[in-house]
Amino acid sequence: MRVDPNYNSVLAASLNSVQDTEEQLTSELSSGVSVSSLSDNPAAVGENVILLNTIQQDDTFTQSSSLVTGQLQVADSTLGSVVTQLTQAISLATSANNGTMNSSDVKSISTQLSGILDEVQSLANTSYQGQYIFAGAQSSTAPFSTSSSTSPAVTTYNGDSNINYLVTPGGDKIQLNVPGSSLFTGSGTNNVFSALNSLIADYSSGTVDTTQAVTDTEALGTALNYVSQQRVVIDDSINQITSASDSATSNETQLTATQTNLMQADVATISTRLSLAETQQSALESVIAQLGSASNSLFSKLPS
Amino acid sequence: MGTINSALSLMTQALDSDQAALNVTSNNVANASTTGYTEETPTWQENSSVVISGISYGQGATMTGATSQRDTVLQERLNQQQQLASASSTRLTALDSVQAVFTPSSGTSTTTGDIGTDLTSFFSSFSSLESSPTSNSLREKVLSSASTLASDVSSAASSLESQRSALDQEASGVVSQVNALTTSIAQLNQQIQATGTSTDNSLEDQRQNDLAKLSTLVGVNQVSTGNDGMQITTTSGQLLVSGDSSYQLTTGMSGGVTHIYSGTTDITSGLASGGGQLGGYLTARDTDIPNTLSSLDQLAYSVSTQVNTLNNAGTDQAGDTSNAGDIFSAPTQVSGSALSMSVVMTDPDHIAAASSTAGTGDNSNAIAMAALASQTIVSGQTPTNYYSDFVSTLGSTVSNVETENTAQTASQLQTQVDSISAVNLNDEASSLTTMERSYQAAAQVFSTLNTLMAQAINIGTETTVS
Repeated sequence: MRVDPNYNSVLAASLNSVQDTEEQLTSELSSGVSVSSLSDNPAAVGENVILLNTIQQDDTFTQSSSLVTGQLQVADSTLGSVVTQLTQAISLATSANNGTMNSSDVKSISTQLSGILDEVQSLANTSYQGQYIFAGAQSSTAPFSTSSSTSPAVTTYNGDSNINYLVTPGGDKIQLNVPGSSLFTGSGTNNVFSALNSLIADYSSGTVDTTQAVTDTEALGTALNYVSQQRVVIDDSINQITSASDSATSNETQLTATQTNLMQADVATISTRLSLAETQQSALESVIAQLGSASNSLFSKLPS
Repeated sequence: MGTINSALSLMTQALDSDQAALNVTSNNVANASTTGYTEETPTWQENSSVVISGISYGQGATMTGATSQRDTVLQERLNQQQQLASASSTRLTALDSVQAVFTPSSGTSTTTGDIGTDLTSFFSSFSSLESSPTSNSLREKVLSSASTLASDVSSAASSLESQRSALDQEASGVVSQVNALTTSIAQLNQQIQATGTSTDNSLEDQRQNDLAKLSTLVGVNQVSTGNDGMQITTTSGQLLVSGDSSYQLTTGMSGGVTHIYSGTTDITSGLASGGGQLGGYLTARDTDIPNTLSSLDQLAYSVSTQVNTLNNAGTDQAGDTSNAGDIFSAPTQVSGSALSMSVVMTDPDHIAAASSTAGTGDNSNAIAMAALASQTIVSGQTPTNYYSDFVSTLGSTVSNVETENTAQTASQLQTQVDSISAVNLNDEASSLTTMERSYQAAAQVFSTLNTLMAQAINIGTETTVS
């Protein structure tokens, strides 16, 4: 029987292959990553791209949420202050309407109401990080201004009715702002500023046209209710964002675990394989040393 | 009748033959590590016997020469396998470099250069912009993530281009080696036909060795012709060697890459599928890298075009409507889009976060641009899914070639060939001993015959000869 006398080269090739395996396993252990090139696991690398994409989207949404939550909270507390101011205005108007006040007290009510108007207008012109939050998309200019050239004075809205949304990773839209036109200068009796301006005009002379003043006071009451209703929209948005952000965070945690399982090295398995490879290497080295020794050649047995 | 004289002459011949056989063994041992050397065994021939007075007398044996232990059919099968093996190993090496450009992101640390991460960051930057469409820092972030995406795509494409041109040079280098070997084989054909194989084994060894080298370089078919000649063609049928003539391959540039010609015929595609290193280089150069590049081009083209279109449809921070300008340099065609991908916008105020009908504080165009991430804008897929498919496909291709490469190893056939043709030193030690004993025996017989001859000469004389 003929045999391949160059078996040592075959053994050397096996030894190289074992060393290659060891190198690969060692690098997996040290980097903690089991998939270091695309061909290691083509399906996993594809899935990894999608998982990382979703994780990052969730992460971005969580960051955006905290940003917009700040803005929404400012809007909410501003509207809270507006409600307080308007409630005070109504109680002032009601006391003026009961007919017991003298002229100078009524004028004083008018002055106090003017102060409230200024305060409410300033609240309606609230900005957050340099942007007016009740201006719709015209967020770079103060949305409300009052012209006293007429009586009653006229407060105009310079913003627009644009509504911005934040899109959740799930594709839902969450309302981010309520334009000033919806809050303060709504149609009919929902107009805070026109009601306030009318009341100021009603009391400015010191004599009260009670019928007109009562109508205007009621109008302010309606407008106040309307502001409170619109405030609920903002509260809803805050709740929605908190819940969407929580869900994004928990989703992110789960996906990160999945992604880690997918790409990270399993230390126990790799260590076992490494140990096997080392055993094989030392076995191969012994065989090569044994077979390669000169005493195995027939020539060494010939008489010299 | 046989005589002592004739017996002596028979032994002289045996001693000569044994020496010749020992020479063959020595030559084997000396060439044990010579590449391409084929083990030789001495050929013995019994001399014709002589019949004298009806009795047949044997006339000993003659060493008529050394025969190479060669199985040409097996050798040819090994060469064929070698062509496949070297094609796939060359292609694998090229593909390993290609896939190294797209190292998967582990996610734990920010992997630089990962296009998948870049795509997500880019579209996420628009999501962030939704929360505060006028924020300068968020606008800057859009531009910086766009720059990262563009530069990673473009540097991946440029890396692939340079790999492609490196492969192109390798392929040209192989062509000149092929030409040198075919010239050498043609010359050997001529020498072998002039002297005949029976007289000089070394020529056939050289020819087989050249053929084996040629097989690692290029896919060839060999046909033995009469009078020990050999004709070699490429696997697609172009003549490389016929008898003592060799036909040189030439190279020329066509479409930016080297094409290979036999005469005036462009045989590049035939060589690409033919095997050998050249087949591997050409497959990687003309199929694998162009496929990868064209996928990247498609991604770069679609993302650039769609984002630019939307940005031009909105209102930017300066209130400019439907005229905000491009974010990415606008590609004119798909091909080359990846390489030329870059960010041309320098002022973040030109990002059109607002819709064309709304004020600058609007974010609906930012929402639209962020939504591109989940729209099927690249060949019917979302950008991320497209990239995910792209890396999976590339990974599978590399993995398949790896498997193919392992399966196509020529080592089994090499073992078979070696078991026949390689010098086995144990065999040589054994035949050395046999020849030595045979020589000793012949010498002993000679010596005995010599004594007998002396006794014959000294018959009747008291003189003692020894």
